[in-house]
Amino acid sequence: MAEPAYLVASDSETTGEEKSSSPFPDIAIGIDIGTSQCSVAVWSGSQVELVRNTRNQKLMRSYVTFKDEIPAGGVSNQLAHEYEMLSGAAIFNMKRLIGRVDTDPVVHASKSLPFLVQTLNIGVRPFIAALVKNMWRSTTPEEVLAIFLVELRAMAEVQLKRPVRNVVLTIPVSFSRFQITRIERACAMAGLQVLRLMPEPTAVALLYAQQQQQSVHENMGSGSEKIALIFNMGAGFCDVAVTATAGGVSQIKALAGTALGGEDILLNMMRHLLPDMDTHFSTRGIDEIRRMGLLRVATQDAIHKLSSQSSVQIDVDLGNGRKISKALGREEFEDVNWEIFEKCESLIKQCLHDAKVEVEDISDVILVGGCSNIPKLRNIITGVCKREIYNGINPLEAAVRGAALEGAVASGVNDPFGSLDLLTIQATPLSIGVRADGNSFVPIIHQNTTMPVRRDVIFTTVHDNQAEALIIVYEGDEKAMEKNHLLGYFKITGIPPALKGVPEINVCMDIDASNVLRVFAGVVMPGVQNPAGPVMEVRMPTVDDGHGWCAEALNRTYGSTLDLVTVQKKGAH
Amino acid sequence: MYSNGVGHLPRSDPLRFSFLHSTRLENPPQFVSFRIRPGPAIRSSLNDTISERPAMSFYELLGIPETGSLVEIKQAYKQLARKYHPDVSPPGRAEEYTQAFIRVQEAYETLSDPRRRALYDRDMAKGVHLAFTARRRGIFDEQMEEKSEWKSRWQSQLSELKRKSMQKDSDDNMSWGARMRRERNQSS
Repeated sequence: MAEPAYLVASDSETTGEEKSSSPFPDIAIGIDIGTSQCSVAVWSGSQVELVRNTRNQKLMRSYVTFKDEIPAGGVSNQLAHEYEMLSGAAIFNMKRLIGRVDTDPVVHASKSLPFLVQTLNIGVRPFIAALVKNMWRSTTPEEVLAIFLVELRAMAEVQLKRPVRNVVLTIPVSFSRFQITRIERACAMAGLQVLRLMPEPTAVALLYAQQQQQSVHENMGSGSEKIALIFNMGAGFCDVAVTATAGGVSQIKALAGTALGGEDILLNMMRHLLPDMDTHFSTRGIDEIRRMGLLRVATQDAIHKLSSQSSVQIDVDLGNGRKISKALGREEFEDVNWEIFEKCESLIKQCLHDAKVEVEDISDVILVGGCSNIPKLRNIITGVCKREIYNGINPLEAAVRGAALEGAVASGVNDPFGSLDLLTIQATPLSIGVRADGNSFVPIIHQNTTMPVRRDVIFTTVHDNQAEALIIVYEGDEKAMEKNHLLGYFKITGIPPALKGVPEINVCMDIDASNVLRVFAGVVMPGVQNPAGPVMEVRMPTVDDGHGWCAEALNRTYGSTLDLVTVQKKGAH
Repeated sequence: MYSNGVGHLPRSDPLRFSFLHSTRLENPPQFVSFRIRPGPAIRSSLNDTISERPAMSFYELLGIPETGSLVEIKQAYKQLARKYHPDVSPPGRAEEYTQAFIRVQEAYETLSDPRRRALYDRDMAKGVHLAFTARRRGIFDEQMEEKSEWKSRWQSQLSELKRKSMQKDSDDNMSWGARMRRERNQSS
């Protein structure tokens, strides 16, 4: 206790250069970067408040337009009309593109956007460009996101009258660790320090946990455990979480997610209205882009209307003699998108199954995100969960409010009324494992494992006197290994000469309190206490943008010469 | 953004611990900047020699009687999570708290699953009640179980894939990797 001042200094704001005199020093803000819209919220001292821009908006469109010298995003920029965003000069949907390679189906689906998304289909990052004065100006999703985050940061600094550095961001459940590094990169470019990246439904779960705790305080309720299912569907992604909540602790039981959202519904409908859309717009001249914009706006408008009315009349003149005039019924809309709705239903069922939760155990069903008004989705969810939808949460603000709560908690803020006595126990959204047993994916940390965690699996060699082994780390739960996300690879060398199946190669994976993944690998010979040679420690992901072709190249170069198989203990199952 | 991490590696300064505990609020923990080096425990797990733990049963760890109900187990778990989860640990002690949390998590996962709890109780009755060794074995068994489940799933999927790739052969547009895999599968 002798020198507290020194210790405070050493542990407070890391660089020490941004000392703020504000009464709320550096409470991390919550940011929800949606595919379509984004928002910022912060703990105000007694509650969470959304930060408004100069036009008094709480929700801002996520896009950056490149038409002038200085790019401008949806925070500061005022769109004269929706069509301006669709003129080719604006890049949007960056959340769907970030960290993806040009063989990814989501990237291919983005090729019908008004800006340029070019693919070579070899597993490198796609080429993205905005149309500026009839020239394609190249950019990257990270750059676009960073420009946007700079605007958000400036807006928050003006409104809060203090520097903003620390943030909690929400991300889709299905984001791989590689995509997370891209988000972190964009934040770093914008001068933001990421305290946490929360899967969106877990942020909603935290908000729910706080509400439950408050109602317990107020009504002297039982305070027993409540199970909630959270379904979040925005423009780009669909996420599900099952949480068990008690006493302000939100324990994530299971997560499920996929890159499926309103954008896919919109594309389906555009193709339905104009079946030869792709050939129609393939040349991508200024006129084609303008026509595509007209179709997009008309279709979007019709979809919105179908949430409240049973049919809608679409009349759009695309020019060059193409006119679409059609009455569209809600049933037709649901038929066209049946595959998407079916996938949503199966995600919910899968998540309940993974959480080992029976439908009867669910206390509340929470539906959030931009698609939450679609009647068909509401029917599916109430049908599966046999519950009415929880109405205590604003579906468009839930995630950002949860992120702001987490930001306050992570910044060490205390609330005299106990509103911040909160904790999220996170689970791994995707399995992490290695390639072994031929060309199989062997998970080491399974999906929905509580974090932090450490797990190991023992492998052995497939050849006599095999001196080296390749550890290729993947993340995901896709059936085909190639469809999972490659996180990195390294080689274990110096395996002592022995018959195949004798050396024990221990691969251990560790996710620490800051969600950092480390992979350890060491060789142990039977009957020997210490590892043969130094143990490898690799922080993952190590791959870079061109990771799409790495696995193929490794396979081509090494085949099965450096393979591993899992050890089946004698007498085990 | 990780450039600040170095200054925050946990140090074993006793002064720091006693002080920080009482000043956590004024002094927000910067979780992201902790870049904890895995401690000896991780390395020793490679040698499978983790055993220096106090021999506490899972019930003792959660602080509940052996007759404790599921509700009690869940309550105890959430209370201990609030105490030991690294998110709420005092700065500099995240690693230590992580270890404690992982043990609490194991106890909870075992005792909240009726099947695993019954196995654990049986082991305890036999006198094999060293929590950590039992835990190690439990995990290993479980992993093997999961793995064999995975394996059978993979095998059925693999055969499906093989079937599909045979159909594709006629297309003659296989990738290098696919061709190598096919050759390997055929030769084995």
